[in-house]
Amino acid sequence: MKEEQIEKLRGVVRDCVSKHLYSSAIFFADKVAAFTNDPADIYMQAQALFLGRHYRRAFHLLNASKIVLRDLRFRYLAAKCLEELKEWDQCLSMLGDAKVDEHGNVYDTKDCNVMYLDKDGEDREINISSAICFLRGRAYEALENRAQARQWYKAAIKADPLCYEALECLIENHMLTCEEETSLLSSLQFGPDDGWLSSFYSCLIKKYDKESIIEAKFRELETESCNGNSMSTSFMHTLKNDTDLLACKAEYYHQCGEYQKCFEQTSILLEKDPFHLKCTLVHLAAAMELGNSNELYLMACNLVKDYPQKALSWFAVGCYYYCIKKYDQSRRYFSKATSLDGTFASAWIGYGNAYAAQEEGDQAMSAYRTAARLFPGCHLPTLYIGMEYMRTHSYKLAEQFFMQAKTICPSDPLVYNELGVVAYNMKEYNKAVLWFEKTLAHIPSLSPLWEPTVVNLAHAYRKLKMYHEAISCYERALTLSTRSLSTYAGLAYTYHLQDNFTAAITYYHKALWLKPDDQFCTEMLSLAIVDEGRSGIDPKMEFR
Amino acid sequence: MSSRESCRNELRTAIRQLSDRCLYSASKWAAEQLVGIDQDPAKFTPSNTRFQRGSSSIRRRFRTNDITSTPPAGVSYVSTPVMEEDEVVDNDFYLLAKSYFDCREYRRAAHVLRDQTGKKATFLRCYALYLAGEKRKEEEMIELEGPLGKSDTVNREVASLERELSILRKNGTIDPFGLYLYGLVLKEKGNQNLARTVLTESVNSYPWNWSAWSELQSMCTTVEILNGLTLSNHWMKDFFLASAYQELRMHNESLTRYEYLQSTFSFSNYIQAQIAKAQYCLREFEQVEVIFEELLRNDPYRVEDVDMYSNVLYAKECFSALSYLAHRVFMTDKYRPESCCIIGNYYSLKGQHEKSVVYFRRALKLNKNYLSAWTLMGHEYVEMKNTPAAIDAYRRAVDINPRDYRAWYGLGQAYEMMGMPFYALHYFKKSVFLQSNDSRLWIAMAQCYETDQLHMLEEAIKCYRRAASCNDREAIALHQLAKLHAELGRSEEAALYYKKDLERMEAEEREGPNMVEALLFLAQHCREQKRFEEAEVYCTRLLDYTGPEKETAKSMLRGMRTSESSFPLMDIEHFHP
Repeated sequence: MKEEQIEKLRGVVRDCVSKHLYSSAIFFADKVAAFTNDPADIYMQAQALFLGRHYRRAFHLLNASKIVLRDLRFRYLAAKCLEELKEWDQCLSMLGDAKVDEHGNVYDTKDCNVMYLDKDGEDREINISSAICFLRGRAYEALENRAQARQWYKAAIKADPLCYEALECLIENHMLTCEEETSLLSSLQFGPDDGWLSSFYSCLIKKYDKESIIEAKFRELETESCNGNSMSTSFMHTLKNDTDLLACKAEYYHQCGEYQKCFEQTSILLEKDPFHLKCTLVHLAAAMELGNSNELYLMACNLVKDYPQKALSWFAVGCYYYCIKKYDQSRRYFSKATSLDGTFASAWIGYGNAYAAQEEGDQAMSAYRTAARLFPGCHLPTLYIGMEYMRTHSYKLAEQFFMQAKTICPSDPLVYNELGVVAYNMKEYNKAVLWFEKTLAHIPSLSPLWEPTVVNLAHAYRKLKMYHEAISCYERALTLSTRSLSTYAGLAYTYHLQDNFTAAITYYHKALWLKPDDQFCTEMLSLAIVDEGRSGIDPKMEFR
Repeated sequence: MSSRESCRNELRTAIRQLSDRCLYSASKWAAEQLVGIDQDPAKFTPSNTRFQRGSSSIRRRFRTNDITSTPPAGVSYVSTPVMEEDEVVDNDFYLLAKSYFDCREYRRAAHVLRDQTGKKATFLRCYALYLAGEKRKEEEMIELEGPLGKSDTVNREVASLERELSILRKNGTIDPFGLYLYGLVLKEKGNQNLARTVLTESVNSYPWNWSAWSELQSMCTTVEILNGLTLSNHWMKDFFLASAYQELRMHNESLTRYEYLQSTFSFSNYIQAQIAKAQYCLREFEQVEVIFEELLRNDPYRVEDVDMYSNVLYAKECFSALSYLAHRVFMTDKYRPESCCIIGNYYSLKGQHEKSVVYFRRALKLNKNYLSAWTLMGHEYVEMKNTPAAIDAYRRAVDINPRDYRAWYGLGQAYEMMGMPFYALHYFKKSVFLQSNDSRLWIAMAQCYETDQLHMLEEAIKCYRRAASCNDREAIALHQLAKLHAELGRSEEAALYYKKDLERMEAEEREGPNMVEALLFLAQHCREQKRFEEAEVYCTRLLDYTGPEKETAKSMLRGMRTSESSFPLMDIEHFHP
């Protein structure tokens, strides 16, 4: 057969692949390989077989061709086949042994004999060693060696910043702490044209910074436009409406406690791209915070119909039941979600929360512990463990866990609030005040979400006999929410301690209006009323 | 005050603007005042004469001082230019939204306006959302209500509205109507200080929105707060101040304002009703009655404020008039809270307390924040000896308006009935703080101090002294003061008060056991002081009464005569036969 005929056949194979006619591709690639016996054609045949899901056959073909160990691409494709066949150990040995250090730097590599046979995407291709590192990470993760997996993922993204999948794995599975994420990003070496990517990545990582910094990051990305090669204004498309960026922003709103805004954003997004999974997760969380059970029900039904094999679908069902306070069912579905995908952090935490909502501390803790083990970069499980300890009055232990949560994520105000509560319970009121003030310094904006912290601060001031500060704090809390028993009771008690009985009585009444059978307020009210009666008539009033 | 013509023009424009924004009650109020403006004599038309004739009789009867046209404080009025609309012709979406709004389909209206950016459209959208939230809140309250309709439902739109409106205010892209709505939202959230500031901004830039003024007024709970407001001068401010003074129980100040306003708005039913309200608080029932008769002649289908008229008729026990009024409002509009209240009063006067409670309850179903219905229902429960229910009702009343001294007094009474004097004392104190010239309240307080649990007689004396210095119609205070002093062994003070009490009884020609007691004490006291002549006078007066005192007086007289003859004086008792 003539050379040009073979070249034409190669074109047919490529076209078949791009049209997803894999059987035809395999048929013609087989013929080409038979004619030429060129490694490149064998590679093409293996590729076609891989795409046609004949993994075993592809692997056999690659293995039989002898060249496999000499060429990185062959090895990579062979390993990919083994990955699909879930033969992880073999997959790792196929990729060859290399070592990686804590920071994702690869050393001790024996892959010097690099040899490229397939030169398709030469102008802009992802570094093959990055792909190999990523695959190693996948294999280690499947083997539950999460430490190794994390290092290999790091290595992958370091080898080529364009290897987004590695970063995604690191972020989605909460493998890194806040600091580690930032230092990893700063160590990446982006190409000269990829400045935008750097800022995009910095939006993807954990967003516990100050509000202004985060918003500046978003703004920078939104104004980023493709005006590099053309001066015409008609070509000014920006990333402003990119779904990933919008999802990121929604995530940020969720974290700030702006659930309504977050929900609106995700609703718009899901209208545009109904199957954007990350956005779906944020949407579910926001709907849950808003108590929008109707939306949750619809989402859960649709997800289960469309993706019965996805953990997210069953997670949505669990969320729905959690939202309507049917914790038993909710637990069942959260557990189903975790069994479908053991690395689904939200489901583990939800599972724990469903136990905690029924005050079953031990089970809740074991769920949180699993989550803490699986997701070392996520401080929430540790925080929740601390909360459970606090509920059982093990303050020392609780404090330890909160401190641990603080080292994982030093910028979450919630951690400081919990530390303050522990200090308060251990009667270290000065320390409590410090923690609460730190909490308020860390929050992006004073919203009703943080009303409890203000109340806590007021309680601590009261305990320190700083009544004026306490009262002004309580009053600040009242501007955030007028429906809190604890604020009114605290305010009343402070006035009572100051011997201002009339004000105390007024606020005890307000507290009792919210909860008529509150024992503390009822008793203190009687005392205050007797005290007031005993104190006689206020001379000011008598001689008015 | 600015000329009638300019008032008229301002109001005409305002009515259009207010009803364009679906602020119905503000527009109704403005229209009422517009019609209430005195006609220029040159432009009389026959159709106006009915009003003219109707009101003149009142003015002849009650106008004591001639009204001059100088403003009370000599202030000059700045005339706020009538606001310019941002678009002269409403766009089609606005028209659709307004139609939905008029049909009470609030969310639909808000949805239509979702992409409109004009100030007017923004206001209507937010207002529609607010009302949608209110509507849902009301429904939820009925669905989830606990005992006495208490529930903790909230307007769910408030949080997001607050966020949006605060941003608009920060950017300076908010109009006075938006500010009014923002004030409402802030009040709902309990942030009164900011709410006052915002509402002040609203009324300063657009003074014709009476709803904004009345919201502002509802948050002026003390004179200090009222004086702290910086309001620009406009004739609407006089309406506001008059109403605020009235709420702060400064009735005379309020009356002067209203009378001054009447020089321009001489036919305003609103002003007349408000004057009646002030007179009612001053307990001038006769005048209230006359004003209301007049009002109902001019405006026979009026239901607003008429419940106050029924209170007057109740207090005066005018059975037939109250019955007539009850039937009349029943025909006009049976399901208005005021109507139900009037009917409740009617049944109460007839002694049918259960039925009366039914109607008060209905009034409260129709308007949860109807203050006087809560208080009156409390009174009914007290009559029915159902103290827990009474306490609940009164508590709702003071929760709505902590300046309602009747409800505080009612609470005190209820606790007194339950034998909890400490609690009762607290509530009486509250009521006396608001109405310090009412002797009944001081006496109630003193009685608490006198109970065995407290037994603080000094405090009781102070209270009685206050009561005596007020107009103590039932003359309890003097008697009690005398008794308490006697109990504490201060016979000089006791004698003083017995004498005062006696003088009063003589002046009012009252007889009774108090008289006997006073005479007996004074007789004994004078004898101990060796003022035998005086003692004899008292003893002789005692002889006019029957009972054991008569005998005591006889023996005292005998004793004194013997001792007078057998000088030096010995203790009479030793010589007693």
